[in-house]
Amino acid sequence: MSTTKDPRGLGVIRVVECGQGVSAAFGAKMIGDLGAEVIKVEPPDGDLMRRRGPFPNDKPDPEKSAIFAYLNANKRGVTADLANPEGRELLERLLEKADILIHNVPPYERARQGLDSAALCAKHPGLIVASISMFGDRGPRANWRGYELNASNAGGWAYLSPGASPYPELPPLKPFGSQCDFQGGAHAALTALAAMRVKLKTGRGQAIDVSEQEAIAAMLEMNFMHWTYAGRETSRLGSRALGPWFLADCQDGKIFVLAVEEHQWKSLVKLMGDPEWAKEEIFKDRMSRAQNMDALKALMSEWIAGFKVTDLYKAAQENRVPFAPVNTMRQMYENEHLKERKYFVTLDQPGLGKLTVPGAPSQYGKIKWALRRPAPRLGQHNEEVLCGEFGLPRDRLAKLKQSGAV
Amino acid sequence: MADLPLSDVRVLDFTWAWAGPFCTQTLAHLGAEVIRIESTLRPCVTRMLPPFADNQNGPNRAGYFNQYNQGKRSILLDLSKPEAVKLAFQLARHCDVVADNFAAGVMDKLGFSYEKLREIKPDIIQISMSGYGQYGPFKRYVGYGPPASALSGQFWLTGYPGGDPAEIGVSYPDPNAGVMGAYAIIAALLHRDLTGEGQFIDQSQWEAVLVHMAEGLLEWDVNHREPARKGNHDFYMAPHETYKSKGNDDQWVSIAVGTDDEWRALCKAIGQPALADDPKFKTQELRKKNEAELDPIITAWTRERDKWEAANMLQQAGVAAFPSMSNRDLAEDKHLMERGYLVQLEHPEVGRRMHAGVPWKMSGTPTEIRRAAPLRGADTDDVFKTLLGFSQQKIDELRKAEVII
Repeated sequence: MSTTKDPRGLGVIRVVECGQGVSAAFGAKMIGDLGAEVIKVEPPDGDLMRRRGPFPNDKPDPEKSAIFAYLNANKRGVTADLANPEGRELLERLLEKADILIHNVPPYERARQGLDSAALCAKHPGLIVASISMFGDRGPRANWRGYELNASNAGGWAYLSPGASPYPELPPLKPFGSQCDFQGGAHAALTALAAMRVKLKTGRGQAIDVSEQEAIAAMLEMNFMHWTYAGRETSRLGSRALGPWFLADCQDGKIFVLAVEEHQWKSLVKLMGDPEWAKEEIFKDRMSRAQNMDALKALMSEWIAGFKVTDLYKAAQENRVPFAPVNTMRQMYENEHLKERKYFVTLDQPGLGKLTVPGAPSQYGKIKWALRRPAPRLGQHNEEVLCGEFGLPRDRLAKLKQSGAV
Repeated sequence: MADLPLSDVRVLDFTWAWAGPFCTQTLAHLGAEVIRIESTLRPCVTRMLPPFADNQNGPNRAGYFNQYNQGKRSILLDLSKPEAVKLAFQLARHCDVVADNFAAGVMDKLGFSYEKLREIKPDIIQISMSGYGQYGPFKRYVGYGPPASALSGQFWLTGYPGGDPAEIGVSYPDPNAGVMGAYAIIAALLHRDLTGEGQFIDQSQWEAVLVHMAEGLLEWDVNHREPARKGNHDFYMAPHETYKSKGNDDQWVSIAVGTDDEWRALCKAIGQPALADDPKFKTQELRKKNEAELDPIITAWTRERDKWEAANMLQQAGVAAFPSMSNRDLAEDKHLMERGYLVQLEHPEVGRRMHAGVPWKMSGTPTEIRRAAPLRGADTDDVFKTLLGFSQQKIDELRKAEVII
C-alpha cells in the first residue's frame, strides 16, 4: 500500500455535488458527515428540495425547508447554471481540486450540463464521477424518466407491497418517503469511497454508474429467486409464508405481532396463559399458523387488546418474542432507547432554528460523525468558494450573477 | 488495473440471515475475500427457507442463501466447541474486518470482543450489526428486519389514503443495514489507510433505517403533526399514482408528473391536449388539489392499454412512467439483461440460475460477481491450509473430532 498517511483521515476528501432532490444530496451528506469537505452546486433558482417541505406552518420558503436542511448540512453551497457555458466553467474549476463528484443529473441531460462521465474522466484523470440515475447510464432505457414512485415499481418493490394484501383492486403500494432515492445515494457514497481507496494508491479516478432500479431489485428478499429457482410469480396478494405475522390493535396503538421461530411461538403461548386453542392442529407449526392467520389473529385479538403497546412489547421481548410497536414520529422522538443512545442530534439552521434530526446511521469508534455546519443558504458561499478559493475575480462573479450563470 | 477497490481486504464473516450477509456480499462485489463462517450450532436460516431449486429441499439449493452469498467462501465449524472458536480466532489474525449481525453481546460471549481482537490485530475493523445496537435499555431485545420497519415508522406512514398502517412487502431494514454497514466498513478501511487506526462500529438496524425517514420525522419536529398516509400520492406532485392496466390481471403502470411541461406532454400523449389548460389542472397546485378528479381520467386511458404500451407511449412523450415489475418481469427484462445486471454463474449443485448481480458499474475497477454462492463448507480445507498452514492430516483430525465439519 503506497497510500500517503494523513492524520485528518476522511477530512482530506473533497466532494462536489450537483443535481437536485434526495439521492445525490444524501450520498454527499453521508461522506460529508464523516468529515469530508462538500461543495454543493445548485441551479440559480435553487434545489428542488427547497420547494418541498416540511416547512414551519406549511409556508413554503426556500430557506425554510426542513428536509433540505437535513440533506444538506455540512456542505457549502454555490450556484451555477450548468446549461450555461459560463456556469459549466465554474463547475470545471471546482472539479480541478475535487476527488469525488456525486450527481443525479439524468443521462439525457448530461451532455448539455457538461456531465458526461467519460468526458469528465478524460479531462480529470484523478476524479471519481459517481452518477446516480433511475435506470443506469447505459442500456435501452437509460434515457427513460423516473421519479421515486417509478423507481419503487421498476425495482419490483411496490409489486410486493403491502405484504399479504387482501385487496386485489388496490394498486401496488409505494413505501413511505424516498427510499429508492436514499438507496441511490447510499450506493453512490459507498462505491465512491471504495474508489477513493483506489485513488489513494494509484492517483486514478473513474466513473461509477449507480442504477436505482438495480439497487432496489437486489433487495427483494427471496422473491426474485421464487421465479428463477421455482418458477413462482410473487406479489403483494396472498398469505404469509410464516406466522404469526400481523399488525394488531392494543389499547393505545398498533403492535407488530411476530413469532416465527418455534421457541418464540412456545414463549408466546405461555405468555398468553396457555389457551386451549393454541393446541389445535391448524396451529401446529409456523406454516400452518400462516395459512390460518385470520383465525389465529381473531383468537389473539382480545388478549392483545387488553394491553398498552409498550407493556405488551416489553412483556414479549422479555420472553425473546420479537414484537415491535408501530411507532409514530412522536414516539420515536420520545423513545428512551434512542435517547440513551443520543441518536437524534440538533441542527441549528438559520431561518428554522434548532431542528432535531436523525443522527449517525452507524456509530464509529474512531471516525467522527458530526454536524459541523448548517445547510447553505442559496448561493451563500459563492464569493467565499469561487473567489476566495478558486481564484474567480470578484468583478467577474458580479457579471456572472447578472448574466444568470450564478 | 486488475485490482478491485477491496482486493487487499479479507473479511471474517460471522453474519447470518439477511442483513449481515447482504453487507458482506457488498464487500465481495468490491473485491474483498469474504470467508463466511457457517456453524452447525446455528445453520443459516436462509439455507432452510424456500424457494429451493426445482422445489427440492437442501441447504445448497436455497435461492435465498445463493442470492445473498455470491462471491464468498464458506467454512463449516462447530462453534459450540471451544477448539472451533479458537480456530476462528486464529483466522481473525489474518483478516482486516470481522463482521457479525448477532444480538448485542453474543460476539463478546463467543470470545470475539473488540478488545480481544485488537490484541492480536491492532488495526482490525469490527462491525456488529444488531437490531437495537450494543448499548441502551433495549439492547437485549430481539431484532429482525420487519419489526425494524414497525419501530422506524415505515409501517405507520405507509398505507392507502385513509387506511391503516401497512406492511411494506419486504424486510427492507435488512438490506438497508447491509448497505449502510458496508459503507461504514469502507469508510473505516479508508480511515485505516490514512491514519493506520482500526475501530469498532456499532450499528443498530433501527437507526440505520431511521436516517431515511427524515421527511416524516421532521414533520413532527417542525409542525408537531403526524404526516397522513397518502398511498401512492405525493405531497406536491400530481398525477402521481400506479394505475390499472388492460385486462383483469394484476398489471399496473406507475405515472408521475413533476412539471408543467410533463403535464402538457401527458395530456397530448393520452389524446386530450385540451386538458392541459383546464382551469382545474393548469398548475401543479391545482392538479394536486383536484387529484381525485384527475386519477379516473388517467385510469380510463391506462385501462385500455398494456402496461408496457402505456409506459412506452408516455416515455416517448417525456413523461415518467414505468410498469410495476414482478419477479418474472425483472428476470426477463431486456434492459437489465443488456446491462449485465442479471448473472448466471455455474453452481455445483443447482447449475446455472439467474441472480440479481452488482447494482452499479465501475469503469476503472470493473466489479462483477466472481463466483456463485458457496456450498456449505466448500472452502474449509483450503482456508485452513492457506491461512493457517494446516496439513491435510491436521484437518482430518479436527474433522474427526467434529471441530471442523
